[in-house]
Amino acid sequence: MTIRTMLLGTAGAAFALALAAPAAQAATICFAFQDLETEFWVAGHQAITETLTEAGHTVIERNAQEDANRQLEQVRDCIAQGVDGIILIPQDGESATTIVAEAQDNDVPIAVFNRPPSDLSRGIVVVADNEEIARQAVEFVAAEALEQIPDRPIQSLILVGNLGDPNAVGRRDGFYAALEPHGDRFATPIEVATQWDAATALANLEAAVTANPQIDLIFTSSDFLFPTIRSVLEPRGMWVPRGEDGHILMAGLDGDATACQLIKDGYVDATGVQDLYFEAESAMNAILAAIEAGETQPNEVIEDPGFALTSENIGEREMDMWGCVLLAEGFLER
Amino acid sequence: MSAILRFEELGKDWFGVPAVSNLTLDVPEGQVLGLIGENGAGKSTLMNMIGGVTEPTRGRMLWRGRPYAPASAAEASAAGIAFIHQELNLFTNLTVAENLFIDGFPRRGGLLRGLIDRGAMQRRAAGLLARLGLDVPPERTLDTLAPGERQLVEIARALHREASLIIFDEPTTSLTPRETERLFAVIEGLRAEGRTVIYISHILGDVRRLSDRIAVLRDGRLVDEGPAASFDVPRMIRSMIGRDLAAVFPERTRAPGSRPVLEVTGLSAPGVVENISLTVREGEILGLFGLMGSGRSELARLLMGLDRAAGGEVRLLGRPLAGGPRDRVRSGMAFVTENRREEGLMMDATIRENLALPGIESFSGPAGLDRGRIAATAEALRETVRLKAGDLGRQPVRALSGGNQQKVVIGKWLPVRPRLLILDEPTRGVDVGARSEIYAIADRLAAEGAGILMISSEMEELMGLCDRIAVMSRGEIVAEFARPAFEERRLLAAAFRSGAAPASEPATGTEG
Amino acid sequence: MTATTEAQAGTGLLRPQTGRIRRAAARVLLSDHFVLWLSLGYFLVLLPFLPTLGTPANLANLLSNAWPLLVVALGQTFVMTAGGIDLSQGAVIGLTSTVAAALIATAAPPEVLGRAPIWGTLIAEEGGIFAGQVWVGILAMLAVGALVGLVNGTLVALLRMPPFMVTLVAMMTVSAFAIWLTQSENIRNLPEGYVQLGKGQIVSVYFGPQDRPEIPRRELHAVIGQAALIAVALTLALHWLLERTAFGRQVVAVGANRRAAEIAGVPVRRVIVLVFVLSALCATVGAILYSARLEAGRPTLGEGTFLLDVIGATVIGGTSLFGGKGKILWTVWGVLFFVLLSNTLNMMNLSAFHIDMVKGAVILAAALLDVARNRLARSTG
Repeated sequence: MTIRTMLLGTAGAAFALALAAPAAQAATICFAFQDLETEFWVAGHQAITETLTEAGHTVIERNAQEDANRQLEQVRDCIAQGVDGIILIPQDGESATTIVAEAQDNDVPIAVFNRPPSDLSRGIVVVADNEEIARQAVEFVAAEALEQIPDRPIQSLILVGNLGDPNAVGRRDGFYAALEPHGDRFATPIEVATQWDAATALANLEAAVTANPQIDLIFTSSDFLFPTIRSVLEPRGMWVPRGEDGHILMAGLDGDATACQLIKDGYVDATGVQDLYFEAESAMNAILAAIEAGETQPNEVIEDPGFALTSENIGEREMDMWGCVLLAEGFLER
Repeated sequence: MSAILRFEELGKDWFGVPAVSNLTLDVPEGQVLGLIGENGAGKSTLMNMIGGVTEPTRGRMLWRGRPYAPASAAEASAAGIAFIHQELNLFTNLTVAENLFIDGFPRRGGLLRGLIDRGAMQRRAAGLLARLGLDVPPERTLDTLAPGERQLVEIARALHREASLIIFDEPTTSLTPRETERLFAVIEGLRAEGRTVIYISHILGDVRRLSDRIAVLRDGRLVDEGPAASFDVPRMIRSMIGRDLAAVFPERTRAPGSRPVLEVTGLSAPGVVENISLTVREGEILGLFGLMGSGRSELARLLMGLDRAAGGEVRLLGRPLAGGPRDRVRSGMAFVTENRREEGLMMDATIRENLALPGIESFSGPAGLDRGRIAATAEALRETVRLKAGDLGRQPVRALSGGNQQKVVIGKWLPVRPRLLILDEPTRGVDVGARSEIYAIADRLAAEGAGILMISSEMEELMGLCDRIAVMSRGEIVAEFARPAFEERRLLAAAFRSGAAPASEPATGTEG
Repeated sequence: MTATTEAQAGTGLLRPQTGRIRRAAARVLLSDHFVLWLSLGYFLVLLPFLPTLGTPANLANLLSNAWPLLVVALGQTFVMTAGGIDLSQGAVIGLTSTVAAALIATAAPPEVLGRAPIWGTLIAEEGGIFAGQVWVGILAMLAVGALVGLVNGTLVALLRMPPFMVTLVAMMTVSAFAIWLTQSENIRNLPEGYVQLGKGQIVSVYFGPQDRPEIPRRELHAVIGQAALIAVALTLALHWLLERTAFGRQVVAVGANRRAAEIAGVPVRRVIVLVFVLSALCATVGAILYSARLEAGRPTLGEGTFLLDVIGATVIGGTSLFGGKGKILWTVWGVLFFVLLSNTLNMMNLSAFHIDMVKGAVILAAALLDVARNRLARSTG
């Protein structure tokens, strides 16, 4: 079975149902995304194109390869081609604002998800509440830590993303928000800068762990860093599953296939999931509704509350997380 | 005697100028054909057509009586034609045997089928080398071999490919006299085996000695052809340049003046030159003679500011020179280096671009370059240096013959009116006719008051042209002769720094 | 001689006489405008299949995409003609766009830029220290760009380091410096006068309403904008500089044969330093156009595959990677071809996975034509 059929079989089917009502006329939708470098984007990209095609719409894909200028040119090409609507996964918040303005000035409705424009007042914007999602994941591990370590201050560590990315800022804020109520029980967290780069993360984390061998809880601002964390902890005997002595409580954010596997194996306790399916679905529904209604400059902010997938709820919510869907499909074995 | 290769009314145009025209000639099988002509006479173009590098514009070639139109060098090679060039086509990092079999290594049979059979390769290579009397182990790499030995390897490769026509293009330029003798013996041997040879050289005595027949090209046409026995050197020169030899060296137009142009005092650079002092006066041609490695070219580089001197002083028209080449060019120095390809020309640029370069800043006006004036200057230079070329604004220098390239290198300095012109081996690889034109340019510049420093390893041209000759040996100026005292033996003795005559004479170039 | 060699020798005579066709093909292939003909042919072939390709909206897009790329490629043309390569152009774009934005932004959100090292010195909540003063920003950009070019050129000319290494190092350090300045943040709120340099329209054409659904709703198309004026003026000036001045000819000479040029009195080191400065300045002007139309200074502007577009367009145009051969006009056509290629690939609605494969194949085909062209140039009169 391919990813394609799997997505169709699960999330896709749900989307198709949800879309059945508004999709009265066939539209041409330009889907401009930032890159396909990671599995997250492969999954998101597949979900959207398959669902729209399934509903009878034409999808025009544009990959900007992490170049904001190229994305602007691609969206302008889409506009010149006369598309009915644009769905955008932007490179960053600033260029998103410019691109949204460009589309609206040409009377083409546009919806943005995953990364919000720095200006939320224009366009359909689906905003994942990074702070809220991070807080949910960290709260779960924090509660476990309080229970397991009653007698001394708990040492936590956070891998911080590139703070130029609003997502990274929100995630860090969520981490602190979760620890805040138990201020006296937690020692000052160790902050490890990653710049969203695995090599940087590796070097900085090694230094941090060497300096502070006693760590009780780790939160990574993105799941893609779990393999990096493992390669630092394992040689030091600190990579231990749940229930065994020396397990470090671990939480992440994103919900990729690796994280799903690690939760199942017991090494990771929780991951905050930006509900990609919810976001893509909301963006699509909103844009199709706008096309249907003849609105050319729809403005709307849709909140994605996300959720935390934990070692406790993985039984029920597994298939709500895109990473687990990919995992079930055999993504990691490919 | 049948012809192995026949040209029938063959013609080739470059940029509208015929390089070869209406050439009909037989290459008799089993003989040595000597082919001579000035640079630009069409020899290289003819060879390129035989070798499949360019296509004829008109006429055709017959190989063993059948039409022959090679589309590539590989086709020419497959037909049985081999070229031995001045610049050899060998891989210097491979062994002798690998070079011989590079296009088809002997393979093993049986279980190890497909692997290179090194043993067989060495044996067969040794056999080929023995036929040429080359006593070199086949496993030696090429870069450890002397030039003459490398050339024999190239000939061995031709033998290995069963070439029936072997073309030698100036094969002796980088050989010692002994190597040259050995090469001639090999060529005799090839003829004895029934192979056909075309031998191209500027050294007319060699051509006469080796060849059965001689063909002379001039301006792309066959002007003379016959049995070698009927040619003597004066006839060969007459046919090549269309006039007599006596006119090669110009009558000097004016006697040198007394005002010094270049004054060098105590110039030293450790390990290169030592305590050089010399003077070149207005209108004077000073010859600088010496063996290879005596420091002549290094001295020129120091004078030009390309290398730094450790001590001493150089004055031009009384003013001391510091700075690099740009400052020296601006104060009136000009330098024609010994290797025009590497240091003289932009090979792919047009003739006009090359001619305009040294004086480019003088063509600048408020609206940019005056392209009309550049074109006019280039056309005037074409006349002055008697350049044989097509459209100066389109034809790249690469498409010119060696002699004409050299005229471009010298000609480009004329618009800046140099006060001192340094010529380093200005006639190397240049034919008799172009030589006399280069000498005439030197004479005219001198008559206009420039000083000329002419470096050469050819005594004859120095003695024919210069007012004085300084002799260099091991980085020092060891003697200086004024015109009445020019004598070959004394110059050589000074160059070798001994009273006794040397064992072997240095190469004295063409017999022209 | 064996039978096989004789058979092979015979193959040469079977080639048909195709002189006239070959000469006509040669004229097109060897023309200075070859890549223009190539682009036009490509355009015409695809026109029936891509209905929106020839629409005014798309043509306006094509042009506006071409201007900034052209400006950057002009500088690359100079460096390559002099026998070098400049890999730092993209990084210069990132740095200069960031510097300008930091100086002239009219406001800045502290929650985004508060951690930047320049916060509180160059830029604060009320904007940059020269907030709104577009010309100060542009002069600062040009100064910063020229400085990077000066360092590149000096290292290449005086220390005789290979341009590839020098500019690779410059690319890494300049880019890292730009990212450090703002901690990878983009700076918005550029003054309107600056944004107009990239987006401002001078002549627009109204094509009237049409009812076909694929025609865009807005019918007013920018034909000449401020970006076009800047790019065209720079192109003309640099064409003049390369073709009609002593300096330009000396650039060619240094690339064709550095040693011969030095002996001929060309100020080789000065020429090399100047081409790198020129290249960085062109990148800076490109930075103005790119950041103005994105309405933000971005430290990461010009990263990634952008440089390949610049070098690709320059080389496809005909400028030699080995120096000594380059024309501004060639680069104009090379850029046109690259922009057209990207545009048409976008129109073909290929899957994102396939676009780059097709792009690579087309570039390969163009490069092969170029090889044929060079071979032809050598063998014809």
